[in-house]
Amino acid sequence: MSHNNASDLNKMDVLFVGAGPASLAGAIRLKQLLKAKGRNDSVVVIEKADKIGQHNLSGAVFEADVLEELVPGWQEDKSKFIAGMVKNKVVKDEVVFLLGNKLAIKVPHFIVPSYLKHHGDYLISVSEMVNWLAQIARSLGVEIYNGFVAREVVMEDGVVTGVKLGDKGLDEKGQPQSNYVPGEMLKARVTVLGDGSLGLLSEQLGDKLNLGKNRNPQIQSLGVKEVIRLPQDSKFGHGHVVDTMGFPNKFFTPDIFGGGTFYSMGDNDVAVTINLALDWKYCDLDPHQELQLLKSHPFVAGILNEGKVISYGAKTIPEGGYYSIPELVANGAIIVGDAAGLLSTRKLKGLHYAIKSGMLAAETIAGALEKGDFSAQSLGKYTDLLQHSSVGHDLYGARNYRQLFARARRFAMYLGTLNSFFHGMVRGRMKLKPDFQHTSTAKLARKYCGGIDKLTDVSLSGTTHREDEPSHITILNRASCISCVAKHRAAPCEAFCPGQVYRWDEGGIVLSPSNCLHCQTCRVKCPFQNIGWQLPEGGDGPKYKVM
Amino acid sequence: MNYIVLIKQVPDIKNIPNEAWDWEKGTLKRALLDNTCNELDKQALAFTLNMRKQCPGKVVSLSMGPPMAEEVLRYSLALGVDEAVLLTDRKFAGADTAATSYSLAQTIRKVERDIFGGDRNYVVVCGMQSIDGDTAQCPPQVAEELGMVHIAYASSFSFDGGKLEVKRITRRGGETVMPDSYPCLVTVTEHTEAPNASFAGTRGANSQEIHQWSADDVGADPDLIGLKGSRTNVVKMFSPKDFSKKNCVFEKDLENLVRMVDEAYHHKPVVTAGQEKENYRLPEGKKGDYSGEIWIYAEQEGGEINPASFELLGKATELAGELGEKVGAVLVGKDVKHLSRDLIAYGADRVYLVEHELLEQFRPLPYCKAIVQAIDKYNSQMMLFSATPLGRELAPRVAYQAKSGLTADCTELRIVDFEKGKQEHVGVLRQTRPALGGNVMASIVSTNSQVQMSTVRPGVMVALERDDRREGEVIACPVDLDASGLGVTIVSSEISEHTFDLSSAEVIVSGGRGLRTKANFDKHLSALANSLGRLLEKDVVICGSRVAVESGFTDRSHQVGQTGQTVKPDLYVAVGISGAVQHVTGCQNSRLLLAINNDSNASIFKVADFGVVGNAEEIIPQLISILDRQGGQVSNVS
Repeated sequence: MSHNNASDLNKMDVLFVGAGPASLAGAIRLKQLLKAKGRNDSVVVIEKADKIGQHNLSGAVFEADVLEELVPGWQEDKSKFIAGMVKNKVVKDEVVFLLGNKLAIKVPHFIVPSYLKHHGDYLISVSEMVNWLAQIARSLGVEIYNGFVAREVVMEDGVVTGVKLGDKGLDEKGQPQSNYVPGEMLKARVTVLGDGSLGLLSEQLGDKLNLGKNRNPQIQSLGVKEVIRLPQDSKFGHGHVVDTMGFPNKFFTPDIFGGGTFYSMGDNDVAVTINLALDWKYCDLDPHQELQLLKSHPFVAGILNEGKVISYGAKTIPEGGYYSIPELVANGAIIVGDAAGLLSTRKLKGLHYAIKSGMLAAETIAGALEKGDFSAQSLGKYTDLLQHSSVGHDLYGARNYRQLFARARRFAMYLGTLNSFFHGMVRGRMKLKPDFQHTSTAKLARKYCGGIDKLTDVSLSGTTHREDEPSHITILNRASCISCVAKHRAAPCEAFCPGQVYRWDEGGIVLSPSNCLHCQTCRVKCPFQNIGWQLPEGGDGPKYKVM
Repeated sequence: MNYIVLIKQVPDIKNIPNEAWDWEKGTLKRALLDNTCNELDKQALAFTLNMRKQCPGKVVSLSMGPPMAEEVLRYSLALGVDEAVLLTDRKFAGADTAATSYSLAQTIRKVERDIFGGDRNYVVVCGMQSIDGDTAQCPPQVAEELGMVHIAYASSFSFDGGKLEVKRITRRGGETVMPDSYPCLVTVTEHTEAPNASFAGTRGANSQEIHQWSADDVGADPDLIGLKGSRTNVVKMFSPKDFSKKNCVFEKDLENLVRMVDEAYHHKPVVTAGQEKENYRLPEGKKGDYSGEIWIYAEQEGGEINPASFELLGKATELAGELGEKVGAVLVGKDVKHLSRDLIAYGADRVYLVEHELLEQFRPLPYCKAIVQAIDKYNSQMMLFSATPLGRELAPRVAYQAKSGLTADCTELRIVDFEKGKQEHVGVLRQTRPALGGNVMASIVSTNSQVQMSTVRPGVMVALERDDRREGEVIACPVDLDASGLGVTIVSSEISEHTFDLSSAEVIVSGGRGLRTKANFDKHLSALANSLGRLLEKDVVICGSRVAVESGFTDRSHQVGQTGQTVKPDLYVAVGISGAVQHVTGCQNSRLLLAINNDSNASIFKVADFGVVGNAEEIIPQLISILDRQGGQVSNVS
């Protein structure tokens, strides 16, 4: 470290927080624009995962048009990722109603609403995609540092000046160990928050500046995913997607908003996901169990052909849509991707929005760097660009879509086209209540259905946290847990956590923070809002490779 | 003082993604594993940087590997290392430990010349072993090539008046040693927490230059590097799963159960790769590739033979019988002649006795000299060491000096004939060992070797019954030694009763959620451990599952499992543990596993050898009374 001193090394022009698709696309676009102008501003991306891609999960049926803008001629790229992606272009997509635990009815293609048609999309692993993007970013001069957690948004006089990183090397009681490294302050002229669904930093900034004023609260759904390796003789093939509706949900009186998706991944692997809106009412609903149930349906079991689970993970999806999107800029800061709540509620797709938002943020920042003006007003160009882009149009078009579902007792789920028509007629904003308020004492009381047990699945996520660090999950008030269990005659957290972090044990909740998948469902779904979730030490968490 | 720290990029076998398994072949796809810095090398880095704080100088980190190994060097720079050297060349491909050690030694010579300007006042530091190869051979062999003293199992250090003193862990406790000269080599075992890099350090390291040196740059002799310079050759990789399939025996009659467990405990099976073992015979009219006696190194410390050496004699007797050769034991020490009788009683035909005043305490340099002298003078074709801490320190040096291949930590040894390429091999020793953290097995043969050498995992081979009527001869082998060749001065040594190390525990009693409360956990497990310990005459260690730790039954250092410690005792008793993968990964290598659980479907029974279904709190007291009765019988007899 000859000519650089530490404080210089902690300064940069643009800092992207979280190496997901939005940030990486933003960093790539920004470097492209800066290069074209002959500028060499420093662009840094930090990521909490130990390695790039380990905290990225998506049910990625990807609309790739946006990629042509970001990486022109991407199809010619010689990488393994692109080769796999091109091979996995959707050629067959089906929508199937699962009636009870026996029947399956394929929906004729002509009545499938357009947003459930995937022709021309690509089936990818987002963990692999971000690795590919990271490679491109590095080749353009973007600096990427993994294993660093941003803990706080730092503001001076109403201006975001950067972030404070998390400490490393604390013991269980929070005392410094011999390898203690205090969290450093990173200073940037613009900080781009791409910290994903339920991103804590975006939330902090939102709270500080009241960015969610006059908006609906954000609501989430939870995606739980397994990648299954099929036996050699299986015939699922490339480019094949199946969306399912109904089972394990009751078909005629559906009361959980969600469904399943299967799609090809690689040569012999199939991704199986179940998406469940977190406003479910059942206090014993276990999303991992629902996935196992779905897999036990004869139609699904037939596809999976007794394949072996090789990977597991979970992630929330911001589902509130147009009216849940907060103000996305502040002095010195921009929010992108899932963190901004940019997701197509009808398609449950956010990847293309994330990439687009990152690119629009980059265009804004490139201009701001030239002017040297990083005020909210200057960065506000991002909001305008977004509004007038395809993302903005899509989102506006579906602005009351999710709310109608919430109101129409869900039967409207099957009447997608009709719903699309109605929600377009609603003027103004329909309101939503937060997910946790929906939990009641009602029970599903599912029976054991085989499949893989939760802890084994958790081990397949590769998640691990240093056992002797301070727990990143805390119970705020032990007494509330007792009231909660008394009220529900069950501990909802035991069921809803896809990582089996919570266990009710005579008089209290025992935590296994090491199992945490970082989905943060607990924060949203705890009926007593009694769970504190902090970012753990950098490098901890899942180790996804193909999710 | 200057420093060179050797670090290695290894596959991250703590986090093997499921897709990396090739289930058909039962092996791992190496390319699908993440890479990381070898954990013990992080300790070495911390050790070195702490030394620099007390005795300033330049720190150079050195790694050998493909270009991507640069990543671990960047990490070292981020921590504050001054310069980094990557030794990378396709010519190094296929190198075994001997060829690797030579290449590293050549590089250290160049660092001394070019970076330290010829100043020989430096210390080479490295981790005791790498997690992938797990041989612990490179450090002693690098030291051997460079003629340096090697201080193994270092845990801390001090600079007393500018003089380096290193505290190291020994089998019997610990000792503090001082190198007699510089440069010297120190291998670090457990020193402190793995160091963390700061953001600024990491970013700064990003733009620092790393020296990239090739085989030619370091002046390596092409005959001594890569495949050509190697003295061992991997002939087969296979899955250990073949013979780890378990059929749990459920036994309701606890009396019976105890008898079966006791029997199985004392009868240590030979691990074979599936097929029934047939006695080897040399093919008609053919001569073996090697000839001479079958030797073992008789490990003695403090005037006592390590029982593992008797196990080696058992195996050597079997191999010698197949090849029609005699069994030799090399015994080194001061006034140890009387131990020859034990060796003969356990199967040695000849005892090669090297005695000298200066051999009273174990030091690698003079011990190595004593053994190699005997090897050069007499005719042996094979030499077995126990893979004890001492054996792992000594054998690599002996092998290197005797220009012989060495395979570490073998669990199976067989004489085989085979063809590879166009070459026919007759009557060679096939040495099988676990690799990549026990996830694959590798069969290895020695090539270009004077003697075929192995270290053998203690507890795997079976000793013969002691027979004091057996006869043998004792051959004295005088050795020239003078005090200047000892390498280290032992400043002090201490014998401690208990050095707590779960990984070397022989019997473990472990409890989980089924025990419900801390009071229960303490009461039942300590009583069970006492009774079991008395019966088996072993120290029994009490551990717990993660649930037990989280519930406060026991502390974090006693946690077995994925995020705790990995254990491989002879007997593991799992009480009230359901057997989630997270726990099982930590104990599945136990030789015998007894599970007590009230759920007959609990997954712990899938990996158990013996199972009792029932409430632990009822079963344990019954078990204890039976154990105590039998333990009583044992002590009455003896």
